[in-house]
Amino acid sequence: MLSHLIIGASGLYLGDMLFIAISFIILMALIAWVAWNPITKMMGERANKIANDIDTAEKSRKEASDLADQRRDALSHSRTEASGIVAEAKQSGEKQRATIVADAQNEATQYKQSARKDIEQERQDALKNVQSDVADISVQIASKIIKKQLDPEGQQALINSYIEGLGKHESR
Amino acid sequence: MSDPVPTVKFLGLTFDVANDLSILITCLIVLLFVFLLSRHITMKPKGGQNVLEWLVEFTNGIVKGSIKGNDASHFGLFAFSLFLFIFVANQIGLFIHIQVGEYTYVKSPTADPVVTLTLSLMTIALAHYAGIAKNGAKAYFKGYLAPFKLFLPLNLFEQFTNFLTLGLRLFGNIFAGEMLLTLISGLTSSDNWVSYLYSLPVELAWQGFSVFIGSVQAFVFVTLASVYISRQLSPEE
Repeated sequence: MLSHLIIGASGLYLGDMLFIAISFIILMALIAWVAWNPITKMMGERANKIANDIDTAEKSRKEASDLADQRRDALSHSRTEASGIVAEAKQSGEKQRATIVADAQNEATQYKQSARKDIEQERQDALKNVQSDVADISVQIASKIIKKQLDPEGQQALINSYIEGLGKHESR
Repeated sequence: MSDPVPTVKFLGLTFDVANDLSILITCLIVLLFVFLLSRHITMKPKGGQNVLEWLVEFTNGIVKGSIKGNDASHFGLFAFSLFLFIFVANQIGLFIHIQVGEYTYVKSPTADPVVTLTLSLMTIALAHYAGIAKNGAKAYFKGYLAPFKLFLPLNLFEQFTNFLTLGLRLFGNIFAGEMLLTLISGLTSSDNWVSYLYSLPVELAWQGFSVFIGSVQAFVFVTLASVYISRQLSPEE
């Protein structure tokens, strides 16, 4: 069964050996051309891409966290700003209210004072009038008394005329 | 598995047609396999590309297991081709066996010692070439005298046995597998149909086991090849 191996040892199968070696080398070259080179190239590219992706992912993650920090800062900043604005507005409103109230009070006291003055003036005027009136009337009465002092009738008439005159004075 | 072999004489060299045909078929199958799997290579692998990349990773892993450093990348293609070739060559005889007259034309090419010894000779030659190319001829020849001069015959003998065992291990396993398959199929006879009842499951089981053996032997061959190469690359270790 193995007799051909003995002949093979004497160089009979050198052709076979050459055939195997050459066909294997050709096979290797074809595999390299068809599959090995593209596959290993692609695998290398993929390894590079993955490494790059990891790097860029790291970078963009950092960027995103920076942005978030910035936004948080801006947010807190704007919050304090807003509360400042509100406080300011409140303050200015308060001030305005105070001035308005003060103004109104001043005005009111001014009005009151002038009104009081007017009233006083009027009262004084009225008093003066009354005084002069009273003086006039007293003079009239005195004159009338002096005129009609003689008789009771005359006295009566004097009183009547005085009352009449009073009514006239009233109506005047 | 019959004794006589069909031979052709050409340019003073003798060719065993059975071996050559089987090798051609093996090469074509391997080529077709990688050709079909590598058609649409994309950044995002899918389908056949995944299979091919897994195979590349597998053989690269074998090589990197014994060859350290940057040198490993130089032998990736060799290991890949060797693994696929031996794997297909081991399996092909399990389902194809073409016999015309008294001559067998297609069988496992690795069931012939000429084929396996040629493969191992190529491997050993590559290992020695790589060793000389990397460390220079002086260091290479000094390696034969390590650890001291008396080891020269031992080292020479070791290289020779490496070559022999590498080839003969593969040959023995595959040859025995095919031989047993032939013997089991010989249990059947056309005038006794009952014989199929017991020989079919046995044949099935042995074929399955042979698939396993063939895979393991392809793995072992590539592993040992990378070990021999790494020994030539860094002889101190």
